[in-house]
Amino acid sequence: MSQIRTRREFFRDLGIGAATVPFLLNLPSLCFANQTARKKRLVVMFSPNGIVPKTFWPTEEGDKFTFKESLKPLEPFKNRTLMLKGVCDKIRGDGDNHMRGIGCLLTGTELFPGNIQGGSDTPAGWASGMSIDQEIKNHLQSKSETRTRFGSLEMGVMVPDRADTWTRMVYAGPNKPLAPIDDPYQMFNRLYGRVKDREVLKSVLDDVQDDLKKVGSKISAEDRQLLQEHATFVREMELELKEAGKETLSHAVPEPEPGVKEENDNIPRISKMQIDLMVNSFAADFARIATMQYTNSVGGARFRWIGVNEGHHELSHNPDSDEASQTKLTKINTWYCEQLAYMAKRLAETPEPGGGGSLLDNTTIIWTNELGKGNSHTLNDIPWVVVGNGMDWKMGRSLKYSQVAHNRLLLSISAGMGHSIKSFGNPDYCQSGPLDKLT
Amino acid sequence: MLSPRANRQSLAVLMLVVCASAHASAAVDGKAVYAQKCASCHGAAGEGTPKEFPRPLAGARSVGQLTKYIVKTMPADDPGTVNEEESAAISQYIFDAFYSKLAQARNKPPRVELSRLTVRQYRNVVTDLLGSFQGTAKLDDQHGLKGQYFKTKRRQGEPVLTRVDPQVRFDFKKESPDPKIEPKEFGIVWRGSIIPPESGEYEIIIRTENSFKLWVNDQRKPAIDATVKSGKDTEYKAPMYFLAGRPYSIRLEYQKGKSGVEDSKEKKAKLEIEPGSISLEWKPPMRPVEVIADRYLSPVNAPESFVLETAFPPDDRSVGYERGTTISKAWDQAKTNAAFEVADYVLAHMRDVTGVFDTEGDRKNKLKVFCMKFAERAFRRPLDDETKQRYVEHQFVDGRAPEESVKRVILLVLNSPRFLYSEFVNEKPDAYDVACRLSFGLWDSMPDQTLFDAAKAGKLSTREEISRQAERMVSDVRARVKMREFLHQWLKVETPPDISKDEKLYAAFDKQVLSDLRVSLDLFLDEVVWSESSDFRQLLLSDSLYLNGRLAAVYGAKLPKEASFTKVKVDSDVRAGVFSHPYLMSTFAYTATSSPIHRGVFVARSVLGRSLPAPPAAVAPLIADLHPNLTTRERVGLQTKPSFCASCHQMINPLGFSMENFDAIGRFRKDEKGKAIDASGVYDDPSGKSYNYKNARELATLVSKSSESHEAFVEQLFHYVVKQPIRAYGLSESTSLRDSFVANGFNIRKLMVEIVSSTALSPQNKPATVVHATPAHSQSASQPKGN
Repeated sequence: MSQIRTRREFFRDLGIGAATVPFLLNLPSLCFANQTARKKRLVVMFSPNGIVPKTFWPTEEGDKFTFKESLKPLEPFKNRTLMLKGVCDKIRGDGDNHMRGIGCLLTGTELFPGNIQGGSDTPAGWASGMSIDQEIKNHLQSKSETRTRFGSLEMGVMVPDRADTWTRMVYAGPNKPLAPIDDPYQMFNRLYGRVKDREVLKSVLDDVQDDLKKVGSKISAEDRQLLQEHATFVREMELELKEAGKETLSHAVPEPEPGVKEENDNIPRISKMQIDLMVNSFAADFARIATMQYTNSVGGARFRWIGVNEGHHELSHNPDSDEASQTKLTKINTWYCEQLAYMAKRLAETPEPGGGGSLLDNTTIIWTNELGKGNSHTLNDIPWVVVGNGMDWKMGRSLKYSQVAHNRLLLSISAGMGHSIKSFGNPDYCQSGPLDKLT
Repeated sequence: MLSPRANRQSLAVLMLVVCASAHASAAVDGKAVYAQKCASCHGAAGEGTPKEFPRPLAGARSVGQLTKYIVKTMPADDPGTVNEEESAAISQYIFDAFYSKLAQARNKPPRVELSRLTVRQYRNVVTDLLGSFQGTAKLDDQHGLKGQYFKTKRRQGEPVLTRVDPQVRFDFKKESPDPKIEPKEFGIVWRGSIIPPESGEYEIIIRTENSFKLWVNDQRKPAIDATVKSGKDTEYKAPMYFLAGRPYSIRLEYQKGKSGVEDSKEKKAKLEIEPGSISLEWKPPMRPVEVIADRYLSPVNAPESFVLETAFPPDDRSVGYERGTTISKAWDQAKTNAAFEVADYVLAHMRDVTGVFDTEGDRKNKLKVFCMKFAERAFRRPLDDETKQRYVEHQFVDGRAPEESVKRVILLVLNSPRFLYSEFVNEKPDAYDVACRLSFGLWDSMPDQTLFDAAKAGKLSTREEISRQAERMVSDVRARVKMREFLHQWLKVETPPDISKDEKLYAAFDKQVLSDLRVSLDLFLDEVVWSESSDFRQLLLSDSLYLNGRLAAVYGAKLPKEASFTKVKVDSDVRAGVFSHPYLMSTFAYTATSSPIHRGVFVARSVLGRSLPAPPAAVAPLIADLHPNLTTRERVGLQTKPSFCASCHQMINPLGFSMENFDAIGRFRKDEKGKAIDASGVYDDPSGKSYNYKNARELATLVSKSSESHEAFVEQLFHYVVKQPIRAYGLSESTSLRDSFVANGFNIRKLMVEIVSSTALSPQNKPATVVHATPAHSQSASQPKGN
């Protein structure tokens, strides 16, 4: 697996343009710029093909509720969890429900007409608006006190290597889908490549100095002046690198398990690696927003490691009466919930740098899906599971709404992250404002 | 209304010079007083005298400080006898003549200075260095792209039709490109290479209402992936940096029809036919968007070619040509970043560049062999044991991943002085230095394998052997690019000028015409230089123009509207090469009127090599509207009438007036404001003879025979090629090159070969001793200059 795919990507991944001349000296802010106001972070985690309602939604409403089977792994975080039922994706227009399911999920707006034909409905293209995570990211990046090196990290696990409406959830703007990075090594390079490069450069410069002396001894005194000037620049760079080396990270640079190939059966390992990198970059304050997209809308992963050999999407079409399939689908969603729980655990056990408490105290994870239910393809009752205390919402509850538009939830998320907006996506679904009952 | 460029130029040009310095108006002659009162102790040129004052007069005092100092302390045996006025005159004189830092530098004899690679050279070298591992394309004369037409959008099976399309610009409407293909859905793949005419930032543009995927150079990652057609956008763009003349592979996969879930047969049958179209366009640097013409396309697929993206600070051009004799912190950082860029590229293209598979046994040793080769090619000479140890062996310590070792080697090699400086010669150059002088001289790049092998075999020791290599190399595309870049600089159009013209007077002159004119100029330059005779005089004398249909309509030739460029004779009794080419005439002009001053300065500086003195005062041009009855010639005459203008404009104006037959866009005209054009003047040749001419063509003929223009061309080309002062190669270098230029029938290509061959064996740091002018071609080939 190549660590860097292309040069352009490499530079993009460094968070700099290739034209930035002094990138070595313009070192990333590895210390913590903002110690005053509470940091607020947001993670959106996506898994595909709907859920099994009877093993997912709690029967009760309010703070006294019991997790059904799919949510069991979240038990240790029950008092920091909020379940939102009855929030619906009401966006219609071109594209089938899987396409609109993922494309309108965070954008709250229609897909453009296009040439991609789904299983039903009319063909469609990309979403016609920005996604809420990018809206919030832009807001945070616009202010020095909340600005971070990357702003947001778009991560994924086993996202197919093709760009179409089913594989893209995050949009930087109309017709501007952002590809998630699903290769942990590429992610690692993006986050820590420069630190590594500095170490290498430091040791290489010694050799350069030696050779400058050697070459210089052969030429005339007049010409030697130029080489002496050169040697001075090299020395200056050595000193600057030495200074930069003193800025230590609050945590050790993680060392991802080497040689994990991007293939179906490695999904659990890749998932863990990606979550670890995400938590590390929060600790280093590289970004305040992250998305974690497991496979894609209509994803067909085979969960062999929990004894499910059929593809996920294929299984999700089977009728409710097919108990065997329902059990398998529940198993799959339980596995996804385990990933959520692992993420919450890692955040909970990592202290908030420069402040009290843990990362989870200032982070909100939202787990969602492109469909409410796989076999009906409904966009009603989209699963929204919120974990963590980043947004001052009242946690430890199961809430039920009566078929409200998910645009309102997007408004609530934005407000919760400190960016109140009146409308997002299709304004027709924003008229009642942010959701009630959350705080 | 002036275009920014014309404005800038007018300021530069019209800053008229008062030739005698301000101090000359004072009664006291500083030089004379110095000779009378100071020279006995300080020496005639301030060099000092052994007994009285042995140190040379040189220092950091200003003229004012010197004046005070002299009044107070000089002469040492009788201070106070020099008055204030005399002191000021002496101070000014010695300051300008030898005291100041600037004067010191000016007085130093020119020498060949240690030089790093210029930015242009650096970019070429890293491309060629990696290209030496990736392979390069062999292009043939065919133009266009290879198109394969398929019945299905997914392009399965054999293509129905395969052909070379001269360009990609198709409007299929609701029809099919071929009777064997259904119009509802089909797919086309175009393959080949694009060959950009100039280096710089391009934009590749695809226009289509259907979907497609485009790869350019990078064969793994599409430059544009528009498999998803979304919304109403029909225009897609990708920025790219290209080096001139090098082929970059291109693959365009076009599909008409929907993607995703396949429709049922019944549904398909009911589907309406959608319209289809596609065009492949680009926006070259500083030029408008155009469909990529067939002359920039080849059906041959080029291997991937590395293009450096790191930005460098520009090179010093203060002496009139780029050179690498200074460094700065910004350069140091840029070259460090560039080294990372190269290293990361190699790591990302490990197999293609190193030829070593991921899973191969003995991978470490194979990669080490690659690194040895990499260092040898980068340093342009075989590695001695110490260099091998330092640059390669030490980086492959046990326990380090081989990839990391490769990365370290590349970083180290590219930061090494052995890579960054063009040569370290003390006294005599060896065969590898000679090879570098040839390749940097002709290509601005590193030696190729043939040249390197010749050096290794000891076959670069005589002038004959060297000339043979140079003759081989001069036909390479890199030499063509370098020659064209030189000519652009010679003609002052290296950056395409942003010209706009008065819309009422020149309605036909738009950005597209301007862009076409540059192509027309390039076709002309290429034709002259690369024809059999390669005759310099043709640059001045050619009576033809390259025009396409669009230009023909503006410049009065009869060509079909869609005609591509052809050579035609228009106003051939008055037109004369660069003395009338419409691109240059438009450049050296204002928006509404011609500019005889710009044109005259161009001829004086570039063609005749005259230096125009530095200007202390700026004069704004007279506004044409305020002198409605004057012709341009009359107005310019009026403006430059004052005596302090005359010293330079006596020469500049008549040169420029010769081109008055060409208006602000270079169209021929017989009269202006109802008065017949007067393009006549007098040309004084260097021997002092005067010749009358009636128009540009007659002037060009005179100039083409003048040794002045020959020497000017030789020196300018020399500096562009060698990037060192010609005087550093001996005082006769210029004359002997000029003589051989004449003897070779003014052959430009041979001149380029002569320049690199005559300097390839010259010793470094020892300015060649002054020898009697001997024509280079009569020198014995085994006796290199300076030995």
